[in-house]
Amino acid sequence: MKIKLELFGASRDFGDKDHLELEIEEKSSVNDLRNEIIKYIDKNFGGNENFIKIVKSSAFCSENNEIISDNYKITKGQKIGIIPPIGGG
Amino acid sequence: MLHTKIVDSKEEKILTSDAEKFITDSKFGASIYFLGTVRNVNDNKSVTGITYDSHDEMVIKSFKEIYNEADQKLDIKDKAVFIEHAKGYLGLGEISIIIAVASKHRDQAYVLSRYIIEEIKKRSPIWKKEHYENEESEWLKGNPIANEKI
Repeated sequence: MKIKLELFGASRDFGDKDHLELEIEEKSSVNDLRNEIIKYIDKNFGGNENFIKIVKSSAFCSENNEIISDNYKITKGQKIGIIPPIGGG
Repeated sequence: MLHTKIVDSKEEKILTSDAEKFITDSKFGASIYFLGTVRNVNDNKSVTGITYDSHDEMVIKSFKEIYNEADQKLDIKDKAVFIEHAKGYLGLGEISIIIAVASKHRDQAYVLSRYIIEEIKKRSPIWKKEHYENEESEWLKGNPIANEKI
């Protein structure tokens, strides 16, 4: 199934647009999504270590603007945001 | 009383005068204006500006949560709070954040102002990309967001 991953902060360097469209298995969890993003980086950025570090240290949020845990199940067509480590102010 | 906004630097600037209009009230005897501004050096590197990125909806949500918590945790009921954070490119010295608070007494105002900025640092999804004199730029590392997960 296809999902839309919205990019923020350092993860904006993962693509030219403000989001990625990724194909993930049905009933995938956030943790599965994280692994798919790492595969995407392996393929498109030769396994860029900094990018992988960002993915591993990121949280994810739902369309309802809630931070979702690693075992949260993603549904078809859902929009998920990647939240790299933050630092405003 | 709360005002929150993400201010897109391409369209407008954060103004202390807006904050003053919002928090001024003769029932309050103490006001504090906290401003965050773009500094010229970070980690021994000459900074020329910062681009701020934000998850706008989550940031506004976090500002409201922090404000509401101040009622419960700090027990400061009567207050005015004005929070704006910039988004987009800012040059040196420009205001990235303003937190203006007003309350009856100074103790409450100091506690509230400090509480809000520290919680924003922990919980509001905002990112900084620093630009340097050698034309390079870099996203700052930051800290993992400290929100509860569902």
